[in-house]
Amino acid sequence: MPGEMSASPGGGGKGDLNNTTLRPITIKQALDASQPYPEANYQIDGADASSITFIGQVRNISTQTTNVTYKIDDGTGEIEVKQWIDTSTAQDTMETDDGKGPGAPGKDQVELNGYARVFGRMRAFANKRFVSAHCVRPLGNINELHVHLLEAAAVHLFFARGPPGGAGAEGAGAGAAGDAAMGGTEDYAAQAKGLPAMSPVARRVFNLLKTEFQSNEGLHMQVIATKLGLPMADVQQAIDELLSAGVIFSTVDEYTWAVLEYH
Amino acid sequence: MSLQTPRVLPAHLHAFHPSSGANSTHTIRLLGTVSALHGDTATITCGGNGDVTLVLRPDSHLQMGKLVEVVGKVMDLEGGGLGVRVLGTTDWGNSADCDYKIYEKVVEATHKLKSIFYDSNE
Repeated sequence: MPGEMSASPGGGGKGDLNNTTLRPITIKQALDASQPYPEANYQIDGADASSITFIGQVRNISTQTTNVTYKIDDGTGEIEVKQWIDTSTAQDTMETDDGKGPGAPGKDQVELNGYARVFGRMRAFANKRFVSAHCVRPLGNINELHVHLLEAAAVHLFFARGPPGGAGAEGAGAGAAGDAAMGGTEDYAAQAKGLPAMSPVARRVFNLLKTEFQSNEGLHMQVIATKLGLPMADVQQAIDELLSAGVIFSTVDEYTWAVLEYH
Repeated sequence: MSLQTPRVLPAHLHAFHPSSGANSTHTIRLLGTVSALHGDTATITCGGNGDVTLVLRPDSHLQMGKLVEVVGKVMDLEGGGLGVRVLGTTDWGNSADCDYKIYEKVVEATHKLKSIFYDSNE
């Protein structure tokens, strides 16, 4: 839907334009998302989730002069979705939503009780959470719904427990406690025992230090930054975090670090 | 209102029966192919996971051979066994377009990762 992106006041986002990651989520995650401080980006599993996408059934459609409000239910919760009407394309939008459009009716039309995919950003108004949508489109294939749910689960696990991998997988995050039913939790729990709660970046750095082949001098921060594709500032922050947690130490100089083995 | 409707397979129905505990929700989602229609009841086949009897609403419109997603409540059937009282159905067209194996994985994942799908006391 060209032109819709710029069409949403409040949907454009401010200050977070660098983070264009689109995150697949469930509506329960949207309702549970936390905000570190008012006006901040919403966070899910400790990671910014500015742009989100989810799939659900349309329970209500209400067309107003400035926006169309949908109530979407995906079986895990219910949330309001507002799609602002761009004045320049308002004619098309209105026609599409009323189902009276002359061109291809039914194709791009969201139906009551039909499934729809929503792309947008989380917002709050008067303490009520809603999603400001860039795009709401009907769903044609049920497999897309199922894959979306699995994708949301996979992304949640990535943030809660770190990337998939062998024995070297990272320690469990705070989210893992609630997922204790998942197989393999014991391994993660064992890993996490000595590892205090920390940011995902710090866990990635720790994991690299632990698994990467190295001399007894450890790894230089430049190497870490290159290997993980992170800016130096982020690596520095992660190093500070790991250092204050007492799990790494500097070797030949203050830029070279190794894991402090305390087992 | 935040009504949650867990996606389940026929084997899980007993866990959502009204007698299974006060905390439990009894509203569930099922996916299956319509295999029999008898006026106010119908039977859906859930892949290789067996059949479920549905008690329809007057405004339910099911068609033989179509894939449907059912939102309903678990109930006791008159002849014994468990059935589902239909609250709403969604027609997904030809059942050949759906890979039921993916749905089975979805059910598995949604029940293992309750923190992102369903409130944990359910």
